[in-house]
Amino acid sequence: MDITSIFIQTIIGGIGIGSLYALVALGYSMTFRSMGLVNFAQGSIYMVGTYFGIIWYRGMVLGLHVPYAAAFFIGLLCNALLGILLERIFRPLAKLDLMLMLLATIGLSFILDNLFTIIFGAEGFAVDSPLPSTPWIIYGIRVLPQMALLIGVSALLMIGNHLFLSKTKLGMAMRASAVDFEIARTMGIATNRMNALALSIGCMMSAAAGILAAPIVYVAPSMGAAVGLKGFAAAVLGGLGSIPGAIAGGLAFGVFEAISAGFISSQWTKAIAFIVMVVVLMVKPSGIVGEITIEKV
Amino acid sequence: MKKKSSILKWILIGAVACLLLAFPAFAKSSYQVHIVNNIGIWLLLSLGLNIAMGYGGQFNLALGALWGVGAYTAALLQTRLGVPFWINLPLGIIAAATMAALVGLPSFKVRSHYLAIVTIGLGEVINLFLVNQDELTGGALGINRIKPPSLFGFPIDTNERFYYLILIMVILGYLIGRQIVGHRIGRAFRALRDDFQAARAMGVNTGFYQILAFAISGAYAGAAGVLFAHWNSYISPDIFEFKSALIVLTMIMIGGMGSLPGSVVGTVLLLVLNEYLRVFERWQLVGYGVAIIVVVLFLPGGVVELVRRFGSLRQRWSAGLTKEKSNVEEERNVP
Amino acid sequence: MFLEIDQLTMQFGGLVAVNNVSISIKKGEIHGLIGPNGSGKTTIFNVLSGYYKPTGGKVSFEGRTISGLPAHQITAAGFARTFQNMRLFKTMTVLENLLVAMGHHAKVGLLQEILNPVAVHREEEKFVEKAMDLLDLLEVADFANELATSLPYGNQRRVEMARALATDPKVILLDEPAAGLNEVETEDLRKTLMKIRDLGVTIFLVEHDMKLVMEICEEISVLDYGKKIAEGTGAVISKDPVVIEAYLGQEEDK
Repeated sequence: MDITSIFIQTIIGGIGIGSLYALVALGYSMTFRSMGLVNFAQGSIYMVGTYFGIIWYRGMVLGLHVPYAAAFFIGLLCNALLGILLERIFRPLAKLDLMLMLLATIGLSFILDNLFTIIFGAEGFAVDSPLPSTPWIIYGIRVLPQMALLIGVSALLMIGNHLFLSKTKLGMAMRASAVDFEIARTMGIATNRMNALALSIGCMMSAAAGILAAPIVYVAPSMGAAVGLKGFAAAVLGGLGSIPGAIAGGLAFGVFEAISAGFISSQWTKAIAFIVMVVVLMVKPSGIVGEITIEKV
Repeated sequence: MKKKSSILKWILIGAVACLLLAFPAFAKSSYQVHIVNNIGIWLLLSLGLNIAMGYGGQFNLALGALWGVGAYTAALLQTRLGVPFWINLPLGIIAAATMAALVGLPSFKVRSHYLAIVTIGLGEVINLFLVNQDELTGGALGINRIKPPSLFGFPIDTNERFYYLILIMVILGYLIGRQIVGHRIGRAFRALRDDFQAARAMGVNTGFYQILAFAISGAYAGAAGVLFAHWNSYISPDIFEFKSALIVLTMIMIGGMGSLPGSVVGTVLLLVLNEYLRVFERWQLVGYGVAIIVVVLFLPGGVVELVRRFGSLRQRWSAGLTKEKSNVEEERNVP
Repeated sequence: MFLEIDQLTMQFGGLVAVNNVSISIKKGEIHGLIGPNGSGKTTIFNVLSGYYKPTGGKVSFEGRTISGLPAHQITAAGFARTFQNMRLFKTMTVLENLLVAMGHHAKVGLLQEILNPVAVHREEEKFVEKAMDLLDLLEVADFANELATSLPYGNQRRVEMARALATDPKVILLDEPAAGLNEVETEDLRKTLMKIRDLGVTIFLVEHDMKLVMEICEEISVLDYGKKIAEGTGAVISKDPVVIEAYLGQEEDK
């Protein structure tokens, strides 16, 4: 195998894992722009969403073996409901200062992580892909079918999300509500409901990421911590609150991680990724896609 | 009235001092002393973070890693070069404070949640260094056989003896903390937390104080690390991470952000509860999560705030109506 | 010259907030800076107090260029300010607010500060005494130990001025001190400003209350769209057709 195909293969792997980060980053950004809070429990929500879908697929509920696609939608639906519940929990938080918000969401992730450990045990499990496990070989480049599915469906979800926000009436109302609370209210937009919708979408994206990635990664109640942190890093990298930023940030983070793992050192992958994020933030605090903001004095 | 309460205060302090000094004598087991020693080490961490965060408003979530910097400095110097505890202590403090100052450098550029993620990231980088540099740090296996300190040939090698060492360190840490937060440095910290731009205009060198806040939390974490390494005689990277910073954060939050007694209350409460609630296993962690949310929503000042509210209620009760009347009149005189 | 703003320009992206403005201020005078909303007054203050680095021109103070220095050094050079929207430290008492402003005069070093409680105590007593004097001067000493932000509006303004004076300034920048005050309070403010001037502090004042400005300012500069359009005594300014035009234009906009 020549160096070019190894490189391309690495990039594809990076895009795959990057899609995962991008979907989780979307969750952060949707919450941040609608309610102005950073939800540190997003990683746990990703984990919870994964379980909500995968337990049906693996026949862990009443021994039912539900098809993968159906399990996928069940997971999304459950997390959508979770999003609505979260909006209710977060509503009183939106007025508090940042440190308190952060702590409350950390508390929430404590609750979710440990509840799921109690229910499912700390031990995780591997999940079989619904697609063949032998990789496709295209021009000498090996691609796992599940990886292709992850990339494809993620892309569809991101495009769908974009179309929803920019082309539908509801999506535009949601954006208005995110931009200016007061104006939206006077226009008769129910901001609480818009926030609930935004959070639901964010939670669904996280569930989708988890269920799509489950056959590639390992499923365990502790799976959310690392992905949550990286998803946040991706969101910040792209410019927190920006939807295209979350996607760009996620993909950039994933690709960068894959390249540094493949060509520099796998041990230092995480460290290098974090250092890059810190450097980007220092150079451009508003993120790679974010706009310039003048600090108000 | 004031005199009476100050006499009462000194009696109380005296009683607590006697209790603390005599503790190993009436402890039921060495394990109990072990738990209290552990509380002491976490107390140093939580005092340091409370100064940086509760007063200075600086998110230092690299605290776990900085604790590790102190511990590894001591462990390496002791096992490789045979350096004794008493020299390791200042060196560990300096190493961790310096590292903390470096972690704090991004605070010039980024604030709030951005700073939080940057410090988490840098903390994880330090942790990865401890795991990956295995020739130096022993990797995931860590370092063992760290010798206990000795004082003029008298080894401090049991939980009971270590208890006094930790007690002295915690009391010193508390007194120094009070000196820091009660005067110029503390006011500068609060000023930059309350209103960064106004603080600048009032001549506060905000950049310097931000870094100082980080360095102070690092110094406390460094002291905790050196003590931990010499007490435990074995260290490994797994506790020197983000999760430990979160635990400290929880302690401060429950006890009282921006209050040193809050740090004490929160740390003791959490770790003592930890012992009693062991039977509930995971459920206790779920309980912590619920506790954090409840505190955030209903009692942002923590347990200390609750005590204060209760205190002022009683005071008002005993002061009676006369004082309240004069207060009202005073307010009316305001133009 | 005492304070010299020399061809100052401040640009944000494409927006020119201050355009080639020069103003000279004499020691001990009360200098007014007026102009319609958005004419660049507060921007000039923000440059003077070190929040913005000017994109053109410079500010020199007692012969030394101060523009571009960090804010705390500008304060140390003798500048203090208040804010349009009052920015008292919200968790602190009135006295503590003033003590923060005195911090940069401390002689006790930081390490001593931690390890030598006696020296700290002695120094702090001096600071408290000085702070109380200032609070007395501004007639808010009674509230020294109350939470600054719990005071009524007019008193908060006084505390903010006392806090600015606590930095021991040579020049004090006051950003709309009369905003939100009623007539009686404005009259009190006028007296307060006179007291501040009597301390030997030069006052640079941004204000919308024309009556107050005309009464107390020895010299007035007028800004419009970031440019200086007039300068002179109150009598000269109030007759200047360019100034009247600028203000009338604003009236029509409303």
